[in-house]
Amino acid sequence: MSNAMKILVVDDFSTMRRIVKGLLNELGYTDVTEADDGNTALPLLKGGAFDFLITDWNMPGMPGLDLLKAVRGDAKLAKLPVLMLTAEAKREQIIEAAQAGVSGYVIKPFTAQTLKEKIDKILASKAAA
Amino acid sequence: MSQDDTLQGRYRSIVDELAGALDTNDEAAFRGAFDRLRAQLNVEFNPELKRITADAQSALRRFREEARLEVLADHEVPDARRRLAHVVKLTEEAAHRTLDLVEQSTPLVDRMSVEAAQLLEEWGLHGSRQLAVSTMWPERATESLERAVRETEHVRRYLSQMLLAQGYQDLSGQIISSVIKLVIELERVLGELVALAHGDDTRRMPALKLEQTQPQPDLNGTGPHVPGVSRGQVVDSQDDIDALLASVAGGSS
Repeated sequence: MSNAMKILVVDDFSTMRRIVKGLLNELGYTDVTEADDGNTALPLLKGGAFDFLITDWNMPGMPGLDLLKAVRGDAKLAKLPVLMLTAEAKREQIIEAAQAGVSGYVIKPFTAQTLKEKIDKILASKAAA
Repeated sequence: MSQDDTLQGRYRSIVDELAGALDTNDEAAFRGAFDRLRAQLNVEFNPELKRITADAQSALRRFREEARLEVLADHEVPDARRRLAHVVKLTEEAAHRTLDLVEQSTPLVDRMSVEAAQLLEEWGLHGSRQLAVSTMWPERATESLERAVRETEHVRRYLSQMLLAQGYQDLSGQIISSVIKLVIELERVLGELVALAHGDDTRRMPALKLEQTQPQPDLNGTGPHVPGVSRGQVVDSQDDIDALLASVAGGSS
Protein backbone atom coordinates (compact mmCIF):
# COMPACT_ATOMS: atom_id res chain seq x y z
CA MET A 1 0.00 0.00 0.00
CA SER A 2 2.71 2.43 1.06
CA ASN A 3 4.52 2.26 -2.30
CA ALA A 4 1.40 3.75 -3.88
CA MET A 5 1.86 6.82 -1.69
CA LYS A 6 1.60 10.21 -3.28
CA ILE A 7 4.68 12.15 -2.16
CA LEU A 8 5.49 15.86 -2.49
CA VAL A 9 9.19 16.79 -2.53
CA VAL A 10 9.92 20.46 -1.79
CA ASP A 11 13.40 21.90 -2.37
CA ASP A 12 14.61 25.06 -4.10
CA PHE A 13 17.52 23.17 -5.72
CA SER A 14 16.33 21.25 -8.76
CA THR A 15 19.26 18.83 -8.45
CA MET A 16 18.21 17.84 -4.93
CA ARG A 17 14.60 17.37 -6.05
CA ARG A 18 15.80 15.02 -8.81
CA ILE A 19 18.04 13.13 -6.38
CA VAL A 20 15.27 12.60 -3.83
CA LYS A 21 12.81 11.67 -6.55
CA GLY A 22 15.33 9.18 -7.99
CA LEU A 23 15.92 7.60 -4.59
CA LEU A 24 12.19 7.41 -3.93
CA ASN A 25 11.74 5.69 -7.30
CA GLU A 26 14.42 3.18 -6.31
CA LEU A 27 12.47 2.53 -3.11
CA GLY A 28 9.37 1.90 -5.20
CA TYR A 29 7.65 5.25 -4.65
CA THR A 30 6.84 6.40 -8.15
CA ASP A 31 4.06 8.93 -7.55
CA VAL A 32 6.32 11.87 -6.70
CA THR A 33 5.53 15.55 -7.32
CA GLU A 34 8.01 18.42 -6.97
CA ALA A 35 7.73 21.99 -5.67
CA ASP A 36 10.45 24.59 -5.23
CA ASP A 37 9.33 26.28 -2.01
CA GLY A 38 6.52 26.48 0.53
CA ASN A 39 4.52 28.96 -1.49
CA THR A 40 4.23 26.59 -4.43
CA ALA A 41 3.92 23.51 -2.21
CA LEU A 42 1.02 24.64 -0.05
CA PRO A 43 -1.60 24.99 -2.84
CA LEU A 44 -0.48 21.59 -4.19
CA LEU A 45 -0.91 20.04 -0.75
CA LYS A 46 -4.33 21.61 -0.26
CA GLY A 47 -5.59 20.37 -3.59
CA GLY A 48 -3.63 17.20 -4.17
CA ALA A 49 -4.42 14.51 -1.59
CA PHE A 50 -0.77 13.86 -0.79
CA ASP A 51 0.20 11.09 1.63
CA PHE A 52 3.69 12.28 2.54
CA LEU A 53 5.69 15.52 2.46
CA ILE A 54 9.48 15.76 2.22
CA THR A 55 10.71 19.32 2.55
CA ASP A 56 13.92 21.31 2.69
CA TRP A 57 14.18 24.10 5.28
CA ASN A 58 16.22 26.91 3.73
CA MET A 59 14.25 28.09 0.70
CA PRO A 60 13.39 31.52 -0.70
CA GLY A 61 9.76 32.55 -0.41
CA MET A 62 8.28 30.28 2.22
CA PRO A 63 10.91 28.26 4.13
CA GLY A 64 10.29 24.66 5.18
CA LEU A 65 9.59 25.52 8.81
CA ASP A 66 6.79 27.90 7.80
CA LEU A 67 5.42 25.24 5.45
CA LEU A 68 5.45 22.74 8.30
CA LYS A 69 3.59 25.17 10.56
CA ALA A 70 1.06 25.90 7.80
CA VAL A 71 0.48 22.18 7.31
CA ARG A 72 0.02 21.55 11.04
CA GLY A 73 -2.31 24.55 11.22
CA ASP A 74 -4.57 23.31 8.43
CA ALA A 75 -7.30 20.97 9.66
CA LYS A 76 -7.22 18.86 6.49
CA LEU A 77 -3.43 18.56 6.37
CA ALA A 78 -2.59 18.50 10.08
CA LYS A 79 -1.89 14.76 10.24
CA LEU A 80 0.22 14.63 7.06
CA PRO A 81 3.62 12.99 7.74
CA VAL A 82 6.36 15.60 7.20
CA LEU A 83 10.00 14.66 6.82
CA MET A 84 12.44 17.57 6.96
CA LEU A 85 15.41 16.91 4.67
CA THR A 86 17.80 19.77 5.21
CA ALA A 87 21.33 21.03 5.77
CA GLU A 88 20.18 22.96 8.85
CA ALA A 89 21.93 21.18 11.70
CA LYS A 90 21.77 23.55 14.66
CA ARG A 91 20.40 22.09 17.85
CA GLU A 92 17.88 24.91 18.35
CA GLN A 93 16.61 24.54 14.78
CA ILE A 94 15.97 20.83 15.24
CA ILE A 95 14.13 21.56 18.49
CA GLU A 96 12.12 24.26 16.71
CA ALA A 97 11.13 21.80 13.98
CA ALA A 98 10.21 19.16 16.56
CA GLN A 99 8.06 21.63 18.45
CA ALA A 100 6.38 22.61 15.18
CA GLY A 101 5.41 18.95 14.74
CA VAL A 102 7.92 17.52 12.25
CA SER A 103 7.60 13.74 11.86
CA GLY A 104 11.26 13.11 11.01
CA TYR A 105 14.45 15.07 10.41
CA VAL A 106 17.33 14.07 8.12
CA ILE A 107 20.48 16.13 7.68
CA LYS A 108 22.10 16.58 4.26
CA PRO A 109 24.27 14.95 3.08
CA PHE A 110 22.30 11.79 3.74
CA THR A 111 22.33 8.19 2.60
CA ALA A 112 19.63 6.26 0.75
CA GLN A 113 19.48 3.92 3.74
CA THR A 114 18.77 6.80 6.15
CA LEU A 115 16.03 8.14 3.90
CA LYS A 116 14.43 4.70 3.67
CA GLU A 117 14.65 4.12 7.44
CA LYS A 118 13.05 7.46 8.26
CA ILE A 119 10.19 7.00 5.79
CA ASP A 120 9.57 3.46 7.08
CA LYS A 121 9.64 4.62 10.69
CA ILE A 122 7.26 7.52 10.08
CA LEU A 123 4.84 5.24 8.22
CA ALA A 124 5.04 2.64 11.00
CA SER A 125 4.28 5.32 13.63
CA LYS A 126 1.37 6.54 11.56
CA ALA A 127 -0.01 3.02 11.13
CA ALA A 128 0.27 2.39 14.88
CA ALA A 129 -1.47 5.66 15.79
CA MET B 1 43.55 72.69 38.97
CA SER B 2 42.33 76.24 39.70
CA GLN B 3 38.88 76.89 41.16
CA ASP B 4 37.69 78.20 37.76
CA ASP B 5 38.42 74.89 36.04
CA THR B 6 36.03 72.87 38.18
CA LEU B 7 32.52 72.10 37.01
CA GLN B 8 31.09 74.31 39.74
CA GLY B 9 33.50 77.09 38.92
CA ARG B 10 32.56 77.01 35.28
CA TYR B 11 28.80 76.60 35.59
CA ARG B 12 27.59 77.47 39.13
CA SER B 13 27.11 81.22 38.57
CA ILE B 14 25.38 80.71 35.21
CA VAL B 15 23.04 78.05 36.60
CA ASP B 16 22.28 80.29 39.60
CA GLU B 17 21.46 83.14 37.23
CA LEU B 18 19.21 80.84 35.22
CA ALA B 19 17.46 79.62 38.37
CA GLY B 20 17.07 83.19 39.67
CA ALA B 21 15.63 84.36 36.36
CA LEU B 22 13.18 81.45 36.41
CA ASP B 23 12.16 82.21 39.99
CA THR B 24 11.46 85.84 39.15
CA ASN B 25 10.06 85.02 35.74
CA ASP B 26 12.60 87.47 34.27
CA GLU B 27 12.76 86.45 30.63
CA ALA B 28 15.49 88.94 29.65
CA ALA B 29 17.73 87.78 32.48
CA PHE B 30 16.99 84.16 31.62
CA ARG B 31 17.96 84.71 27.94
CA GLY B 32 21.12 86.50 28.99
CA ALA B 33 22.13 83.66 31.32
CA PHE B 34 21.22 81.11 28.65
CA ASP B 35 23.43 82.87 26.07
CA ARG B 36 26.31 82.80 28.55
CA LEU B 37 25.70 79.09 29.11
CA ARG B 38 25.74 78.45 25.35
CA ALA B 39 28.93 80.49 24.99
CA GLN B 40 30.59 78.45 27.77
CA LEU B 41 29.50 75.21 26.09
CA ASN B 42 30.89 76.41 22.78
CA VAL B 43 34.20 77.22 24.40
CA GLU B 44 34.40 73.73 25.84
CA PHE B 45 33.07 71.63 23.01
CA ASN B 46 33.93 73.51 19.85
CA PRO B 47 37.57 72.39 19.67
CA GLU B 48 36.50 68.75 19.95
CA LEU B 49 33.73 69.32 17.40
CA LYS B 50 36.20 70.97 15.04
CA ARG B 51 38.63 68.09 15.43
CA ILE B 52 35.92 65.50 14.66
CA THR B 53 34.70 67.51 11.67
CA ALA B 54 38.24 67.86 10.37
CA ASP B 55 38.85 64.12 10.80
CA ALA B 56 35.61 63.30 8.97
CA GLN B 57 36.44 65.69 6.14
CA SER B 58 39.92 64.26 5.90
CA ALA B 59 38.53 60.69 5.82
CA LEU B 60 36.04 61.66 3.09
CA ARG B 61 38.80 63.36 1.08
CA ARG B 62 41.05 60.30 1.36
CA PHE B 63 38.11 58.06 0.44
CA ARG B 64 37.36 60.24 -2.59
CA GLU B 65 40.98 60.14 -3.69
CA GLU B 66 41.19 56.38 -3.24
CA ALA B 67 40.34 55.24 -6.78
CA ARG B 68 40.76 51.60 -5.79
CA LEU B 69 37.57 51.69 -3.72
CA GLU B 70 35.64 53.04 -6.66
CA VAL B 71 36.97 50.28 -8.91
CA LEU B 72 35.97 47.76 -6.27
CA ALA B 73 32.49 49.24 -5.93
CA ASP B 74 31.87 49.67 -9.66
CA HIS B 75 33.53 46.60 -11.13
CA GLU B 76 35.33 44.07 -8.99
CA VAL B 77 32.70 43.36 -6.34
CA PRO B 78 29.86 43.09 -8.91
CA ASP B 79 32.15 40.85 -11.01
CA ALA B 80 32.82 38.66 -7.96
CA ARG B 81 29.07 38.33 -7.45
CA ARG B 82 28.56 37.36 -11.10
CA ARG B 83 31.44 34.87 -10.96
CA LEU B 84 29.97 33.16 -7.91
CA ALA B 85 26.55 33.00 -9.55
CA HIS B 86 28.20 31.48 -12.62
CA VAL B 87 29.89 28.83 -10.45
CA VAL B 88 26.48 27.87 -9.05
CA LYS B 89 25.11 27.66 -12.61
CA LEU B 90 28.05 25.53 -13.82
CA THR B 91 27.84 23.10 -10.91
CA GLU B 92 24.09 22.86 -11.37
CA GLU B 93 24.52 22.05 -15.06
CA ALA B 94 27.23 19.49 -14.28
CA ALA B 95 25.10 17.86 -11.60
CA HIS B 96 22.09 17.70 -13.94
CA ARG B 97 24.26 16.21 -16.69
CA THR B 98 25.49 13.54 -14.27
CA LEU B 99 21.92 12.87 -13.15
CA ASP B 100 20.88 12.55 -16.83
CA LEU B 101 23.61 9.95 -17.39
CA VAL B 102 22.70 8.06 -14.20
CA GLU B 103 19.06 8.01 -15.23
CA GLN B 104 19.98 6.82 -18.73
CA SER B 105 22.35 4.13 -17.40
CA THR B 106 20.06 2.68 -14.76
CA PRO B 107 17.52 1.07 -17.14
CA LEU B 108 20.36 -0.29 -19.31
CA VAL B 109 21.92 -1.98 -16.28
CA ASP B 110 18.51 -3.22 -15.17
CA ARG B 111 17.90 -4.76 -18.60
CA MET B 112 21.34 -6.43 -18.67
CA SER B 113 20.71 -7.85 -15.23
CA VAL B 114 17.25 -9.15 -16.09
CA GLU B 115 18.38 -10.64 -19.42
CA ALA B 116 21.38 -12.34 -17.83
CA ALA B 117 19.17 -13.83 -15.10
CA GLN B 118 16.62 -15.01 -17.71
CA LEU B 119 19.33 -16.62 -19.86
CA LEU B 120 20.75 -18.41 -16.84
CA GLU B 121 17.32 -19.73 -16.00
CA GLU B 122 16.65 -20.90 -19.58
CA TRP B 123 20.14 -22.41 -19.79
CA GLY B 124 19.41 -24.49 -16.74
CA LEU B 125 16.07 -25.59 -18.12
CA HIS B 126 17.56 -26.73 -21.44
CA GLY B 127 20.27 -28.95 -20.03
CA SER B 128 23.46 -26.94 -19.85
CA ARG B 129 25.37 -29.91 -18.42
CA GLN B 130 24.94 -32.03 -21.54
CA LEU B 131 26.11 -29.17 -23.77
CA ALA B 132 28.98 -28.41 -21.46
CA VAL B 133 30.37 -31.89 -22.09
CA SER B 134 30.89 -31.20 -25.81
CA THR B 135 32.46 -27.70 -25.50
CA MET B 136 34.04 -25.36 -22.95
CA TRP B 137 31.97 -22.39 -24.18
CA PRO B 138 28.67 -23.10 -22.39
CA GLU B 139 30.46 -23.35 -19.02
CA ARG B 140 32.23 -20.02 -19.59
CA ALA B 141 28.95 -18.50 -20.73
CA THR B 142 27.29 -19.64 -17.52
CA GLU B 143 30.05 -18.06 -15.41
CA SER B 144 29.83 -14.88 -17.45
CA LEU B 145 26.09 -14.65 -17.00
CA GLU B 146 26.38 -15.28 -13.27
CA ARG B 147 29.02 -12.58 -13.03
CA ALA B 148 26.80 -10.23 -15.07
CA VAL B 149 23.94 -10.71 -12.61
CA ARG B 150 26.29 -10.10 -9.65
CA GLU B 151 28.14 -7.14 -11.08
CA THR B 152 25.17 -5.32 -12.54
CA GLU B 153 23.87 -5.24 -8.98
CA HIS B 154 27.13 -3.53 -7.97
CA VAL B 155 26.81 -1.06 -10.83
CA ARG B 156 23.24 -0.33 -9.80
CA ARG B 157 24.44 0.51 -6.28
CA TYR B 158 27.27 2.68 -7.65
CA LEU B 159 24.77 4.56 -9.83
CA SER B 160 22.57 5.13 -6.79
CA GLN B 161 25.58 6.51 -4.90
CA MET B 162 26.49 8.73 -7.86
CA LEU B 163 22.93 10.07 -7.80
CA LEU B 164 23.23 10.86 -4.10
CA ALA B 165 26.70 12.36 -4.46
CA GLN B 166 25.28 15.08 -6.71
CA GLY B 167 23.78 16.51 -3.53
CA TYR B 168 27.09 18.39 -3.24
CA GLN B 169 25.59 20.88 -5.71
CA ASP B 170 22.78 21.70 -3.31
CA LEU B 171 25.13 22.07 -0.32
CA SER B 172 27.84 24.03 -2.16
CA GLY B 173 25.13 26.07 -3.90
CA GLN B 174 23.60 27.05 -0.55
CA ILE B 175 27.01 28.08 0.82
CA ILE B 176 27.87 30.08 -2.31
CA SER B 177 24.41 31.69 -2.30
CA SER B 178 24.98 32.92 1.25
CA VAL B 179 28.33 34.41 0.14
CA ILE B 180 26.56 36.03 -2.84
CA LYS B 181 24.11 37.68 -0.43
CA LEU B 182 27.05 39.05 1.52
CA VAL B 183 28.73 40.31 -1.66
CA ILE B 184 25.49 42.03 -2.71
CA GLU B 185 25.40 43.76 0.68
CA LEU B 186 29.06 44.74 0.36
CA GLU B 187 28.40 46.04 -3.16
CA ARG B 188 25.53 48.18 -1.92
CA VAL B 189 27.46 49.55 1.05
CA LEU B 190 30.51 50.37 -1.08
CA GLY B 191 28.30 52.03 -3.69
CA GLU B 192 26.62 54.17 -1.07
CA LEU B 193 29.93 55.11 0.55
CA VAL B 194 31.31 56.18 -2.83
CA ALA B 195 28.12 58.16 -3.49
CA LEU B 196 28.41 59.75 -0.07
CA ALA B 197 32.06 60.65 -0.63
CA HIS B 198 31.08 62.40 -3.85
CA GLY B 199 28.13 64.11 -2.19
CA ASP B 200 25.69 62.34 -4.52
CA ASP B 201 23.31 60.93 -1.97
CA THR B 202 23.47 61.05 1.80
CA ARG B 203 19.88 60.18 2.49
CA ARG B 204 20.40 56.45 2.09
CA MET B 205 22.91 56.11 4.90
CA PRO B 206 20.37 55.64 7.76
CA ALA B 207 18.67 52.81 5.85
CA LEU B 208 22.08 51.24 5.30
CA LYS B 209 22.82 51.28 9.04
CA LEU B 210 19.38 49.85 9.85
CA GLU B 211 19.78 46.89 7.50
CA GLN B 212 23.29 46.20 8.74
CA THR B 213 22.02 45.71 12.27
CA GLN B 214 19.30 43.24 11.29
CA PRO B 215 20.49 39.68 11.98
CA GLN B 216 19.60 36.79 9.68
CA PRO B 217 17.07 34.79 11.69
CA ASP B 218 17.87 31.08 12.03
CA LEU B 219 14.19 30.31 11.50
CA ASN B 220 14.61 31.10 7.81
CA GLY B 221 17.54 28.70 7.64
CA THR B 222 21.24 29.47 7.64
CA GLY B 223 22.52 26.85 5.24
CA PRO B 224 24.94 23.96 5.66
CA HIS B 225 27.33 23.75 8.60
CA VAL B 226 30.79 25.01 7.61
CA PRO B 227 33.60 23.90 9.97
CA GLY B 228 35.27 26.84 11.66
CA VAL B 229 32.63 29.27 10.38
CA SER B 230 29.21 28.18 11.60
CA ARG B 231 28.09 29.40 15.00
CA GLY B 232 25.85 27.64 17.46
CA GLN B 233 25.68 24.05 18.62
CA VAL B 234 25.55 21.72 15.66
CA VAL B 235 24.11 18.21 15.82
CA ASP B 236 26.01 16.21 13.24
CA SER B 237 25.00 12.59 13.61
CA GLN B 238 21.65 11.11 12.65
CA ASP B 239 21.50 9.22 15.96
CA ASP B 240 21.91 12.49 17.92
CA ILE B 241 19.19 14.12 15.81
CA ASP B 242 16.85 11.20 16.43
CA ALA B 243 17.56 11.36 20.17
CA LEU B 244 16.97 15.12 20.21
CA LEU B 245 13.68 14.77 18.32
CA ALA B 246 12.56 12.00 20.64
CA SER B 247 13.33 14.16 23.66
CA VAL B 248 11.14 17.02 22.45
CA ALA B 249 7.44 16.59 23.00
CA GLY B 250 5.52 16.25 19.78
CA GLY B 251 8.50 15.06 17.73
CA SER B 252 9.22 11.52 16.63
CA SER B 253 12.42 10.33 15.02
